[in-house]
Amino acid sequence: MTKILVVADIKQNALKKGTLELISKARTLSENVAVVAIGNHIEGLIPELAQAGTDTQYLANDNKLEMFSASSYANCVIQAVKQYQAEQVWFAFSESSKATAPRVAARFKSACATEITDISIENGKVIVNRPAIAGKVYQKIQFNTSPAVVIVRAGAFDIDGEYSGTENIHNLEIPETDLRAVIQKIIQDAGEEIDLADADIVVSVGRGVKDQTGVDLVKALAKDLKAGFGSSRAMVDAGVMPHNSQVGQTGKIVSPTLYFAIGISGAIQHVAGMNGAKVIVAVNKDSEAPIFNVADYGIVGDLFEVVPILRDEIKKVRN
Amino acid sequence: MKILTTVKKVVDVELNIQVKEGKIVQDGLQYVMNAWDENAVEATVQLKENNGAETTLVCMGDSESTLMIRKAYAMGIENGIHVDDPLLESADSNGYAKVLKKIYENGDYDLIITGKQAQDTDNGHTGIMLAEYLDIPCVSNVVAIEVVDESQLAVSRIGDSGTEIINVNLPALLTVSDSINEPRLPALRGIMMAKKKAIETKTLADLELTLEQIDMQPVRTEILEYQAPSVRQAGKKFEGDAAEITAKVVQLLSNEAKVI
Ligand SMILES: Cc1cc2nc3c(=O)[nH]c(=O)nc-3n(C[C@H](O)[C@H](O)[C@H](O)COP(=O)(O)OP(=O)(O)OC[C@H]3O[C@@H](n4cnc5c(N)ncnc54)[C@H](O)[C@@H]3O)c2cc1C
Ligand SMILES: Nc1ncnc2c1ncn2[C@@H]1O[C@H](COP(=O)(O)O)[C@@H](O)[C@H]1O
Repeated sequence: MTKILVVADIKQNALKKGTLELISKARTLSENVAVVAIGNHIEGLIPELAQAGTDTQYLANDNKLEMFSASSYANCVIQAVKQYQAEQVWFAFSESSKATAPRVAARFKSACATEITDISIENGKVIVNRPAIAGKVYQKIQFNTSPAVVIVRAGAFDIDGEYSGTENIHNLEIPETDLRAVIQKIIQDAGEEIDLADADIVVSVGRGVKDQTGVDLVKALAKDLKAGFGSSRAMVDAGVMPHNSQVGQTGKIVSPTLYFAIGISGAIQHVAGMNGAKVIVAVNKDSEAPIFNVADYGIVGDLFEVVPILRDEIKKVRN
Repeated sequence: MKILTTVKKVVDVELNIQVKEGKIVQDGLQYVMNAWDENAVEATVQLKENNGAETTLVCMGDSESTLMIRKAYAMGIENGIHVDDPLLESADSNGYAKVLKKIYENGDYDLIITGKQAQDTDNGHTGIMLAEYLDIPCVSNVVAIEVVDESQLAVSRIGDSGTEIINVNLPALLTVSDSINEPRLPALRGIMMAKKKAIETKTLADLELTLEQIDMQPVRTEILEYQAPSVRQAGKKFEGDAAEITAKVVQLLSNEAKVI
């Protein structure tokens, strides 16, 4: 039976939801699911990883791994792949995964598929589905080499609590820092309480909100809804919203239950990042804005007028 | 500094794309320079202007790819290599990375700049794999490049928790984000000059590469088929009195969609 290694997605020493989605899905394909966890002070995550359905845990836990480094992280994953003899390596979607996965694939003379939405085994070959060309087509891709390295799109798989595993920890060697590329510092983005990728509701702002005043107005709506707070690229480029809030082809792919696009025109690069949402609501003063082609509910109007009413009305129906 | 920059000819993503019987319908498609590669070219030309550099561009693709090279010339790139070989038609990112490896080894480059991803594949693999094959350091998703000295750059990349500032030794490979710069529009004079400039054209045989050497026999991944995505239908659009239509939408979100 195929051996799957899941790379745990850990941020601020906490496990991200995507890891649990991956482990759940992996267990439907195989009883042999291992996980590799990389970071500093993360030993406490092992019980949760076992509980989620893994029977082998590879741990690289050291202060040298506090900050993300693609070469160190790839080194740890490679060790785990070798020890476990993994035939598949699954990453959750993140910038770190995008930097690490192709390295791992190259090192094993294998290949990589990014942003997959489905995975299966047919005639002994790993087959994946994924969007390409800004989501305008889907590709069905077959791997001819092993291990098949994949990055899974957020929300592609459901978490089911059906499986649970056992603790069986293997410590990995801590790689030496690659002195050819050394992180000097990280300028942290303003930390939002609710991570976009995990959020059940996402409220995003576009150029239509203009400036910080507009951002604050819409942020209040996000707060009311306990929603993740996202952005189009225009607002990131304008320096008003942080990089890690960007939704779209260059930013984050989100698949919440409910997505609000406020003052966003609906360029395909933005839509590629949010068209997996179950329900989309758009507020835009231009009735011809392309965002209305994908919105389930469109409000044609001035967002500065509409957003306060939205907040009031939502409060009413929630009470 | 000697810089090698990669540019791919890709289908224009702003136009309609149809899928029929597992394949993309080619009729009516138009091709442009990959958007992220425009950023790569701009970053290269800025390095040339600010710090002095010898610039070479490489594009693998059919004869129309020469248009991409001419555009890059017009933006300020000096030399162009066109790898034109029908055998590359079904290449995956691995295959392209292996050809680029050879191009790199034939020159004496200090820096490779690629786009973060190609708009047709949306992979973001080629550059990172190339760096791995060359065993040179790689920083992806770069938004700023500063020259420290002849042997070192200070680059910024967007990572998961913010902007990472990284010192990277040359030779190195960078993949650039679209946030790094605003690609220039070539001036008329540049366009005229670009038309006359020579392009070096190579086949795999010229490069002394076999299909085995570039991982195409057997190919590591195969696209079995293309599928049309399930398109979202436009839903209900409300115009009129803001208070009225907003209340209506909230009612629908609660009663119909049942999401709040
Ligand atoms: C390679 C590449 C990658 C890209 N990646 C991304 C990405 O990851 N994410 C992304 O978002 N974009 C991305 N883009 C950019 C994308 O093409 C658009 O430029 C961008 O999404 C536009 O942002 P916007 O909708 O906020 O701004 P605009 O297109 O300017 O739209 C603003 C909208 O606000 C409306 N508006 C204005 N005032 C009001 C008001 N008072 N009330 C209501 N509505 C109002 C306007 O009618 C308009 O529709 C990428 C582009 C390229 C080329
Ligand atoms: N055929 C090609 N010719 C030149 N450069 C390429 C080619 N394919 C990929 N690249 C480069 O690699 C980057 C990433 O491509 P991809 O891995 O397909 O997303 C692109 O932005 C290009 O800079």
